[in-house]
Amino acid sequence: MIGDIMDAEKIIDSLTSKFPEAISDTNTESERRISAYADADNIVEICQYLKDELQFGHLCSETAVDLIQKNEIDVVYHIGSYDHPVVLTLKAKLSRDKPQIESVVPVYWNANWYERETYELFGVQYKNHPDLRNLVLPDELLGDWPLRKDYEGFPQNTAKNLV
Amino acid sequence: MAEELKEKSYEQPVAKEQVEEEETIPGVVTTTSQEINKFLQKTKAQDFINWGRKNSLWFMAQAMGCCGVEIIVTGMSPMDTDRFGIIPRNSPRQADVMIISGYVTKKYLPALKKLYDQMPSPKWVICMGDCSISGGPFYESYSTVQNIDEIFPVDVFIPGCPPRPEALIQGFLEVQKKIEAREDKGSGYDR
Amino acid sequence: MDTNVGPDEMLIHLGPQHVAQPGPFRLNVKVKGETVQDSEVELGFIHKGIEKILESKTYLQGIPVVDRACYLAALSNEEAFVGSVERLVGIEPTERSQYIRVIVEELSRIQSHLLGYAEYASFLGFVSMFMYPIAVREKVLELLEMTTGARITHSYLRFGGVRDDLPEGFEAKCKETFEYVRKGVEEWGELMKTDMIYRERAVGIGVLTPDVASDLGVSGPPLRATGVDFDIRKDDSYLVYDDLDFKVCTETAGDIDARIWVRIAEIYESMYIIEQALDQIPSGPLFPENLPYDRRSPVMRVPEGEVFYRVEDPRGEMGFYMVSDGSDKPYRVKIRGPVYPTMQALPPLIKGTQLADVVAIAGSMDACTSEADR
Repeated sequence: MIGDIMDAEKIIDSLTSKFPEAISDTNTESERRISAYADADNIVEICQYLKDELQFGHLCSETAVDLIQKNEIDVVYHIGSYDHPVVLTLKAKLSRDKPQIESVVPVYWNANWYERETYELFGVQYKNHPDLRNLVLPDELLGDWPLRKDYEGFPQNTAKNLV
Repeated sequence: MAEELKEKSYEQPVAKEQVEEEETIPGVVTTTSQEINKFLQKTKAQDFINWGRKNSLWFMAQAMGCCGVEIIVTGMSPMDTDRFGIIPRNSPRQADVMIISGYVTKKYLPALKKLYDQMPSPKWVICMGDCSISGGPFYESYSTVQNIDEIFPVDVFIPGCPPRPEALIQGFLEVQKKIEAREDKGSGYDR
Repeated sequence: MDTNVGPDEMLIHLGPQHVAQPGPFRLNVKVKGETVQDSEVELGFIHKGIEKILESKTYLQGIPVVDRACYLAALSNEEAFVGSVERLVGIEPTERSQYIRVIVEELSRIQSHLLGYAEYASFLGFVSMFMYPIAVREKVLELLEMTTGARITHSYLRFGGVRDDLPEGFEAKCKETFEYVRKGVEEWGELMKTDMIYRERAVGIGVLTPDVASDLGVSGPPLRATGVDFDIRKDDSYLVYDDLDFKVCTETAGDIDARIWVRIAEIYESMYIIEQALDQIPSGPLFPENLPYDRRSPVMRVPEGEVFYRVEDPRGEMGFYMVSDGSDKPYRVKIRGPVYPTMQALPPLIKGTQLADVVAIAGSMDACTSEADR
């Protein structure tokens, strides 16, 4: 596969043929942006395949979106490449009550901080993460999960002279 | 949470009365540095001391937010603050003025208090930018501490988001005026 | 990092207030003698929760907030934010505003690199070298100020265009300023090539290889200094960069000296881009017709959807992931800043180096804490 010019269609074909059950809802938004849903249990194998076979060597970002109405949290991976301009938006659905997913640090080293941040802001538990603790929040705010939609500490009203 | 942090606020220290009676030696007048200071305050010599203090306001180079970039520029050659005796220092131990140049977060407040404690008296505080005055664009954030003026004795507020370097120099000049008029809130010294 | 120290080891905390820092963060370094054994970066001292704040602001109100995510690259942040919204709504900016955006963003790149260079030089101990680039940067800021009205936080971009047109006499002033910048940069470049003290401290220190750099996920000048020609302006082109002629500046050594040379080359390249853009810029309106918002009704409903849009920040790859639920406020915004992976890469980079080099290496990465913390 390496050496071929990657385009969006080829990448999706390759992914769905390799993981027919774990990949669903693939979508080609444009030539450079594709998205897919992945099964949360297979996320590490999928990332490994993307990195080894499809030249997706660059994890742009990893974050989460709190979908409170569906009672689920989507973990979102943006995976890019140094060789081709396609960015894959990979999502995994987790239950909002107990969000838990395998860590992708063994595949993408720089996922470490992204996962720590997602953990402290959303409460997503990463299994087998080398060092899962708070990164930007002080210790006393840990456990509030401030970026969830039902967080109550926002907006803060302690400032004087609020109009 | 915020209340707890605010408990330790920096009020003006009240000069304690001399409790112990000194032993009196006939023919010898004993005195303390406090009494000398009190005496000096009544004379013109104190004006001279204040004149010296106001003309060497060394500030701590401590970039916290957007205003930090303007602090850097203020300390450099284009603005030439050395002519007012305003010189950036790297260590809090050598600084007279702390510029709170941005949003104070719950995580940073203990460190900021420590920095303030490390500065030798007399010392002054300048609030630079909207963030430290009223919260600025981040007044509702879950992570910031509001009402900084209740925590530190602030002398001058410089509005702007961020203020220009000229505004910062103006702020320093206002501190100088206050020191000269003995109306500043600088802590730990007799005016 | 294991905080237990052995009998011949020592734990040193750099920060949160340290002069060799662009903003408060803490670097815990474990040293054995002078050699760094292990280290750890502690973030969050200026974490403002921008992502949460953006969820409570309308799209137009969000522009000044993203400005302050990284104050040295305010215009790139705006471009990433405004571009994401434009892609969600389906607005195409007019050609003239696209050119103006290129011009101001490249000016912003020049001033950021100048400040980065100045800070780096001061970390190495060249105090007067701190002064010269700042003086030149003031001239560049004057150009930005006469266009946008502000020195560092501009709020200049709008959905579909820019707030104001280029002012009168901009081109002449550009020419004058660029002469000044070229003269300055040439002089320092000569100094850096010949000064023995500088070469001893910078050459061969803090080396990144291309493989390691890609593994660590860094982007921007630290990556290009290793020889990987990854530049979003070319690889994932946006605005009118396709119509402009420029090259991706790379070096091969990967040490701190190479990073600085990449930045210096980019200053030249940015000036070249601006000169071309000023030649090619068409006349015409700033905003397209049929905008979904106007001055009277600044609130705009954005159709449901999501987008990931990235631009080339002075420090690397800046991306915005935006989810809209059809209301007038974004449902979720994720800011993917370039400094985040750069700071994350610091511990493996300084492992095994001398303690005195830590500051030089950190300075050459040109980090901006505010953006990493957000």
